Amino acid sequence: MRKLGLAAALAGSVALSACVQTKQYADMQFTPPQGDYKLLVLRPDVTVGSLTTGGMVEPRADWTDQARSSIVDALRAQQAARGGKVTIIEHRNEIPGVTAQELADVERLNAAVDESIVVHKYLGDYLPTKRGKGLEWTLGQDAVRLGQKTGYDYALFLHGEDQVASGGRIALGILGLAGCIVGFCAPNIGGQQQLDYASLVDLKTGRVVWFNVVIAGSQVPGIKFGDLRTPQGATQMIDRLLGRMKPGTGVTKGVVVTDDPAAKH
Amino acid sequence: MLFGGAAAAASLHTGVADARIRPEDMVPLIGPGFRPTEKDEMGLWKEMDRAEEEISGSNLVIQDPKLEGYLKNIIGTVGGPAAHDFRIYLVRIPDFNAMMFPSGFAVVFSGLLLRMRNEAQLAGVIAHESGHFLRRHMIRSWRDMRRKTDLLAIGSMLAGIGGAGAGVYLGDYVQLAQLGTILSLLQYSRGMEAEADAMGARLMERNDYPPIEMANIWEQLIGEETASARYRGKRRRRGSLFDTHPSEGSRMVDLRADAQELTVAGKAYDSRRQRYLSTIAEIRPTLLDDQVKLNDPGASQYLIETLAQDGWNGLLRFCEGEVWRLRNRPGDALRADQSYAAAIAYPDAPADAWRWHGIALMKQGRAAEAKAAFARYLTMKPDATDAAWVRQMMG
Repeated sequence: MRKLGLAAALAGSVALSACVQTKQYADMQFTPPQGDYKLLVLRPDVTVGSLTTGGMVEPRADWTDQARSSIVDALRAQQAARGGKVTIIEHRNEIPGVTAQELADVERLNAAVDESIVVHKYLGDYLPTKRGKGLEWTLGQDAVRLGQKTGYDYALFLHGEDQVASGGRIALGILGLAGCIVGFCAPNIGGQQQLDYASLVDLKTGRVVWFNVVIAGSQVPGIKFGDLRTPQGATQMIDRLLGRMKPGTGVTKGVVVTDDPAAKH
Repeated sequence: MLFGGAAAAASLHTGVADARIRPEDMVPLIGPGFRPTEKDEMGLWKEMDRAEEEISGSNLVIQDPKLEGYLKNIIGTVGGPAAHDFRIYLVRIPDFNAMMFPSGFAVVFSGLLLRMRNEAQLAGVIAHESGHFLRRHMIRSWRDMRRKTDLLAIGSMLAGIGGAGAGVYLGDYVQLAQLGTILSLLQYSRGMEAEADAMGARLMERNDYPPIEMANIWEQLIGEETASARYRGKRRRRGSLFDTHPSEGSRMVDLRADAQELTVAGKAYDSRRQRYLSTIAEIRPTLLDDQVKLNDPGASQYLIETLAQDGWNGLLRFCEGEVWRLRNRPGDALRADQSYAAAIAYPDAPADAWRWHGIALMKQGRAAEAKAAFARYLTMKPDATDAAWVRQMMG
């Protein structure tokens, strides 16, 4: 239920624009994982639904399964190109040495932290004490314990949701377009809304080191900016979400941040 | 004109005007081992599977094998054809509520266990929830919402285009239609709640629980809400057009009629009171404590007095004292002290009753008796967090 509210809030914040938007935040000292790293990807949280004529979202189990497998394949391909060892788990009980409950706790904690990041970085509730400090959020000791038990360096949490406009919705949009003739122009009743976000957690420190949101939506039903169900759409989404990881502002500007405010470098 | 139109639309949808649903019309629409075959229902179940995973792993779930087994037994009895497909979770939330999810798992709040007087009442609530599943309410409700929002969207679009063509502004009528849609959806919801009530009563009777107990639940709840509202200087909230459930009064009346229709003369019904009381005996102190801490003295006092109809005991007198103490109106401190004094006369008085009794005695200047009370508290609870303070009070 929390994730629903999160998604709605994010989607609402860019309701007026029609295209693809993405903005990433990272830890000041973050460098994208390179070389020999071990990445754990927890079950991508994917749902695909159909947008009914009246604007409701009808969840579709078959489309969701299709999208999930497409995303997993795209993720594997993308990570293979970067080097490093990637494990994508499908169920919570697949990691030896970690119980399903422990993993569930880390996932839920991450969901709560992601919600906080969205509120304070994307929805305008900026915290004055966190200005110019990159991404200062952490999952704490639970994530560090997970890293110690499993031996992974990073954990990636993914969420993706998409709606496909149904025939009725598209027809309604066309009807609205036809109304332009008499002066009632209403084709922009809202079409597909894709929302994806990902958070990367450094399991050695427990900190959330990188976070990205991709919003791809159209106001006119029938116009699509990517379909999560198809391999091409999934590849495009993974590329938009994960493929352009930038280092943190501290790294690019050559600033070293320490905990001691008096120290100067 | 808009207001009149709204009133006219509203008058079509009052819950009171609807005819009572007859229990014998309530036949299960699914059989054992039901799985959905239609796309929209399959999608809904898949989402609910994820929800069930999160709920079943929540730290609010009460992990007590005895209670789990008891609830599972009840739903296995009154669950109709789906009895063995249901899952049921008890969560520690001190409110009166229970819910059934589209994929066949139910969640029961711990507040329900405090308010039900016997197993028949608890079975009635669970049978009501089972009725939602057996009559496929969730998917019917979803499809109803879908149909009505579709109509509203198409209608609004046509009204806009038609109005523009004719040079008339129809926006107000569209808003009226929107209100009408919302009221219609809520009326559908109320209709389904009434169906679930009727089905629940039928399932109860089938399993030899007296169906009148379902009506008694509402009588008790009305009494509780009246007491709660009276304390706060308000009136109990009556039903409104925007309710998803029929009003409590109308539910009670309909269920009484249902019970009269269903009860077979000469058949032996059993509300299984003793079994219920012995099963929840262990958790009852926790439930009462949660209720007292809700800070609703009217309701808490009503519930304590209702439970005391079986006889006062140390626990109930202690909780009564806690309600007065936390209420803290003029004269309540004295009432609380009297309740604590009454509580310790019973063998089952909790340790805290002795502690508060000791404090009351100290306030009255009876130091020697206070010391004895504190000593009793410390023997009962040697590792209490305030043991050092109590010892200091003893001198």
